[in-house]
Amino acid sequence: MNNPIVYDLMAARPEILVLTMAMVILLVDLFLSERHRYVGYVLSQLTLLGSAILTVATHTPGVAYVFNGMFVDDPMADVLKLMMSLATSVVLVYSRSYIATRGMYRGEFFALVLFALLGMMIMVSGSHFLTLYMGLELLSLSMYALVALDRDNPRATEAAMKYFVLGALASGMLLYGMSMIYGATGALELGQVRNALMSGQPDHAVLILGLVFVVAGLAFKIGAVPFQMWVPDVYHGSPTAVTLLIGSVPKFAAFAFFMRLLIQGLEPLGIDWQGMLIIMAVLSISIGNITAIAQTNIKRMLAYSTISHVGFLLFGFLAVGPNGYTSAMFYISAYVLMTLGAFGILLLLSRQGFEAEHLDDLKGLNQRSPWYAFIMLLLMFSMAGVPPTLGFYAKFTVLQAALQAGFVGLVIFAVLMAVIGAFYYLRVVKLMYFDEPIDQTPIKPQADVAFVLSVNGLLVLLIGLMPEWLMELCAYAIAQSIQ
Amino acid sequence: MIFQDYVFYALAAILLVAGLRVITARNPVHAALFLVLAFFTAAGIWLLLEAEFLAITLVLVYVGAVMVLFLFVVMMLDINLDKLREGFWDYAPLAGFVGVVMALEMASIVGVRHFGVNVTGTPEPHPVNYSNTAELGRQLYTDYVLPFELASVVLLVAIVAAIALTMRRRKDSKYIDPAEQVKVKRADRIRMVSMPAEKEMPENGEGEQA
Amino acid sequence: MTYMQKIYLLIPLLPLLAAVVVGLFGRKLPRFTAHLFTITGVGASFALSVLVFQDVLAGHIYNGAVYTWLTSGHTSFEVGFLIDPLSAMMMVVVTFVSLMVHIYTIGYMHEDPGYSRFFSYISLFTFSMLMLVMSNNFMQLFFGWEAVGLVSYLLIGFWYTRPTAIYANLKAFLVNRVGDFGFLLGIGMVLFFFGSLDYQAVFSVAPQFADMNVEIVPGHSWSLLTVVCLLLFVGAMGKSAQVPLHVWLPDSMEGPTPISALIHAATMVTAGIFMVARMSPLYELSTTALSTVMVIGAITALFMGFLGIIQNDIKRVVAYSTLSQLGYMTVALGASAYSVAIFHLMTHAFFKALLFLAAGSVIMGMHHDQDIRNMGGLRKYMPITWLTSLIGSLALIGTPFLSGFYSKDSIIEAAQMSHIPGSGFAYFAVLAGVFVTAFYSFRMYFLVFHGKSRWMEAKDDHGHGHDDHDHDDAHHHGLGPHDKPHESPWVVTLPLIALAIPSLVIGYLAIEPMLFGHFFSNVIFVDAEAHPTMHELAHHFHGAAAMGLHAFTSLPFLLAASGVALSWFFYMKRPDIPAAIRQRFELVYRILDNKYGFDAFNEKFFAGGSRLIGSKLWQIGDVTIIDGLFVNGTARLIGRVSAIIRHLQSGLIYHYAFAMIIGVFVLLTFFMKK
Repeated sequence: MNNPIVYDLMAARPEILVLTMAMVILLVDLFLSERHRYVGYVLSQLTLLGSAILTVATHTPGVAYVFNGMFVDDPMADVLKLMMSLATSVVLVYSRSYIATRGMYRGEFFALVLFALLGMMIMVSGSHFLTLYMGLELLSLSMYALVALDRDNPRATEAAMKYFVLGALASGMLLYGMSMIYGATGALELGQVRNALMSGQPDHAVLILGLVFVVAGLAFKIGAVPFQMWVPDVYHGSPTAVTLLIGSVPKFAAFAFFMRLLIQGLEPLGIDWQGMLIIMAVLSISIGNITAIAQTNIKRMLAYSTISHVGFLLFGFLAVGPNGYTSAMFYISAYVLMTLGAFGILLLLSRQGFEAEHLDDLKGLNQRSPWYAFIMLLLMFSMAGVPPTLGFYAKFTVLQAALQAGFVGLVIFAVLMAVIGAFYYLRVVKLMYFDEPIDQTPIKPQADVAFVLSVNGLLVLLIGLMPEWLMELCAYAIAQSIQ
Repeated sequence: MIFQDYVFYALAAILLVAGLRVITARNPVHAALFLVLAFFTAAGIWLLLEAEFLAITLVLVYVGAVMVLFLFVVMMLDINLDKLREGFWDYAPLAGFVGVVMALEMASIVGVRHFGVNVTGTPEPHPVNYSNTAELGRQLYTDYVLPFELASVVLLVAIVAAIALTMRRRKDSKYIDPAEQVKVKRADRIRMVSMPAEKEMPENGEGEQA
Repeated sequence: MTYMQKIYLLIPLLPLLAAVVVGLFGRKLPRFTAHLFTITGVGASFALSVLVFQDVLAGHIYNGAVYTWLTSGHTSFEVGFLIDPLSAMMMVVVTFVSLMVHIYTIGYMHEDPGYSRFFSYISLFTFSMLMLVMSNNFMQLFFGWEAVGLVSYLLIGFWYTRPTAIYANLKAFLVNRVGDFGFLLGIGMVLFFFGSLDYQAVFSVAPQFADMNVEIVPGHSWSLLTVVCLLLFVGAMGKSAQVPLHVWLPDSMEGPTPISALIHAATMVTAGIFMVARMSPLYELSTTALSTVMVIGAITALFMGFLGIIQNDIKRVVAYSTLSQLGYMTVALGASAYSVAIFHLMTHAFFKALLFLAAGSVIMGMHHDQDIRNMGGLRKYMPITWLTSLIGSLALIGTPFLSGFYSKDSIIEAAQMSHIPGSGFAYFAVLAGVFVTAFYSFRMYFLVFHGKSRWMEAKDDHGHGHDDHDHDDAHHHGLGPHDKPHESPWVVTLPLIALAIPSLVIGYLAIEPMLFGHFFSNVIFVDAEAHPTMHELAHHFHGAAAMGLHAFTSLPFLLAASGVALSWFFYMKRPDIPAAIRQRFELVYRILDNKYGFDAFNEKFFAGGSRLIGSKLWQIGDVTIIDGLFVNGTARLIGRVSAIIRHLQSGLIYHYAFAMIIGVFVLLTFFMKK
């Protein structure tokens, strides 16, 4: 144990497991016949389980920097990694039958998902511009490939192309911004960047130039207006299983990316990036909510809903301080849980040769399956922020944090927009309960999907009723990791 | 001004012109060739910065491998340039305005005022026995081992993605397996069938199978 | 928590548990479990109540909180129990009658599809009523008050596919809302002025406020306690169906008969009486309030009795007699004879439950025909029902030595002894009421059990019973000319017998300890100087036996006997006379038939008026301003904006890239200038 590299590697055990298993799955898949494709699925689930267990087992309350300050193992990273592993596992459960009927039930799919997860884990633990950037690229590249994986689907290919080109542009911006900050501070490691900024030495004009590009890159990744253009097209064009993945787990990583870059690294520039975030938050909430109303495709609608949720998330960062960050982390957890469930329902309704993606496909769901209609009702209520669901509490804490930070006008605006947003969520409820079904195919989920989806839906209600433990978990992660 | 300065300005000028031509050249092959030129001059500038290894790698990898591939692709694709340029002038005023203002803004920062020698200080030349290659290697495999490994994973993902997206196996294609050919036995090729000398009338339709 | 405290908790919780289990899982469980669980729960509750009653007799009184719900400022809202002779007696009565009704229901509802739902409801009712009577604070009292109201609503509309049932339960609910509004105001004033919701605390500080006045309308000041007492009494008027809030009770007969017995005769409707008796320390401080109570009770007692005379539905006759008897109790309250009111409440609970259950038994025997004109001569066919009905009717009219006699005669005497304003009218009303009660009770008795068997006469237009279980049109209600009524099964007759026994003897046994002993001495407070009624009553009392013997020469007995005789003459001897009278006094009949016009007035004035106001507000406020301007106007605006923004999403990649560049450009320009 005296060898420093061993110590370094010990801190990254979950990542190493995921990486190793991704390659094992690639190799094993070569020797599998069509009948035994499930082996890849099982191995992936075991990997995710192992990664979750390893994360918990190796958890310590302290902060440890390894790999020459490039990688940090702190409670925030551990909590987020645990959530990401679990969320990815849920994604795979929901997706299984969907990808099986669309020729994507292959080793590459699982390997790419695991590579994406690895990228996210690196982002979560990155404490250096380089690691953060490498993690982001790993995630993005895997995602581009996953979107296009359904090769014979022209819409998916188009979506992948847009995602790739715009993503490359955003990566370039991010990298350019980082290089400017490096130029001004002479440091790449977040702690050193922060120290340099605190000293007041670096050239402010250069920093602003860098900051604008960094924020633009971040905003693209998280889908904030005006860098949101890719979101609806990619959500819409991707196979629903991939949309589910893009829409859910990476948001944890994006949250961590914000935390690492803006809070841990660039917090001394808070005055400047706060202004940028306000503009983007306001635009995101209004454009997201208003445009969602005009959508007839539910995947697009959820894409715009995501944009508006991002606006709310940014409110949490506006309230600089542990309260705001905790509320943002809570919000993102709530958001991922709701998104998983909503796309899970869409995957449930899809089958061979039929994509459930129009609002009309939800018509009369109550008559076809009262239970899943109820689950969807819970999810929609939660997204709209109706008490006592989780979504209400999430919005409440974020707005409360912003209010305490003095953004009264913004909070009022956000609440008004949330009311507008409630319209399109409740329209879904109306379609499910008061319209006649167009499609009468019976809904027969597999046992695991039925169980996980039910738990997912009920959790939205239960955590809404008892939010303390999740709140405390987030508060713990933030308090232990951010000084 | 010393000799190196002249070299720098010459290379920089060529680099800028080449870069400009990459996006203005009407013929894509020409554009690709201008890109090659830009890489070459960039490598020259890196040499001036004492980054010999990187300069060589740039020429070897980008010019030698990437750009050749690029040229192949460009030449194989039938690109209708006029179609691509459709609507160019519709956007030109706005795009031009934004582009110019942004360029001015960036230039005001990325200029002598913020990055001049009097701000950053003159870098010390390395000693004679300094090896840029050795230093890079040492850095890559010690301090930067994590990003280095990650880069390899990114490349692996790129490979996997490329194969997954492009490799198609036609279901109806016929191909030969040499191993099967070698292993083949006489019994596999010839089947001895005993047939009666006199043909009987088929009964119950079984005769059809014979 | 002591041993007894656990028992106190168990008494209401066992029926609740049974109600929840049967209510939630009743449809999945076998049918017999519905009555098994609930009867076990209520039975255990009854046994424990008896235990508590004995404990209370031994002198153990409990008053304390078991659970604090929330604390706001200095006021805490608690769940607490006050176990004293009054509540212990109520608990025994409630659980006993409830148990009888549970058993009875097995027979009465056995073919109803809502079997388990019904059992769940009546168990839930038992829980609510127990919470009401066991409460030691206004908060919990109000909870029980509303809970019994809710269950009553559910049960009146139990056959929810019938429009009349839905109409009736809505009516009951709305009328009770009016009462509850006053009640809630009263509780609010109690909290505001006395600073507490706990009975004990309120009663101890109330005398200090005896001279305090409040100005509700500027310029007019009223005694605070009068206002509080009257507001609380408004609540009692709603729940105990006093004029003019009585209109819901006759209609509530739309519910199944067992709950008519349990809720609308024996227990829930007496909640108002119980509440006023519980509040005796407050009422004693306001003679004005007592006078009002007395007059309203007297009006109810007499005029509701008249309505009983012309009813032809067997259950409605009993319902109007209930109204009348509740009036008697209210008169007793007004005369400061709280213990007499409670005494009558108890005896009434037994014999009125008996009468209702017997009526239900008759209805079953007649195959769900409720019209007494179609009955007659049932004595031969239903001997047990006949005999128990006779006992119930005799108790109701005040036959000496039966339970009703002791309580009712005491009330009449109390009204006579009272000297507060209005007592003269009250005395006249309760005295005349005796005659009326005897007349209509025996009218029903004779028409049902004696005389010719009228269902045998061919009839095409026989009134359809209200109490029909299902809506199968092919199902023939009532008996055909050749059918014979049959006695009900033992689960029905057993409760009848079990209720007949206390109807006979409870008055004789209980009058002395309850009225003149020390049973209520620490519970009910009477200001002997201001209202010496009870004192004088005790002066005239020389033992239960003497009272019974003495009665044969008294005015009430003569009135009752003449009432019985007259009804025999009219309906057995000369059935043509009532018809002739009816023709001669057309106007009177019409007034009675329209129930003095209360329903029509409410329907036109209150219901119509509020509908008018509502529709105007809806048209102007909602449709034009809120919907038109705010809701739809905004929605239309946003819809348009949405459609425009949507076009920005062109699907062209260079547009997207350009948007990003513009974004960076704007941020850069904006923040570099700062």
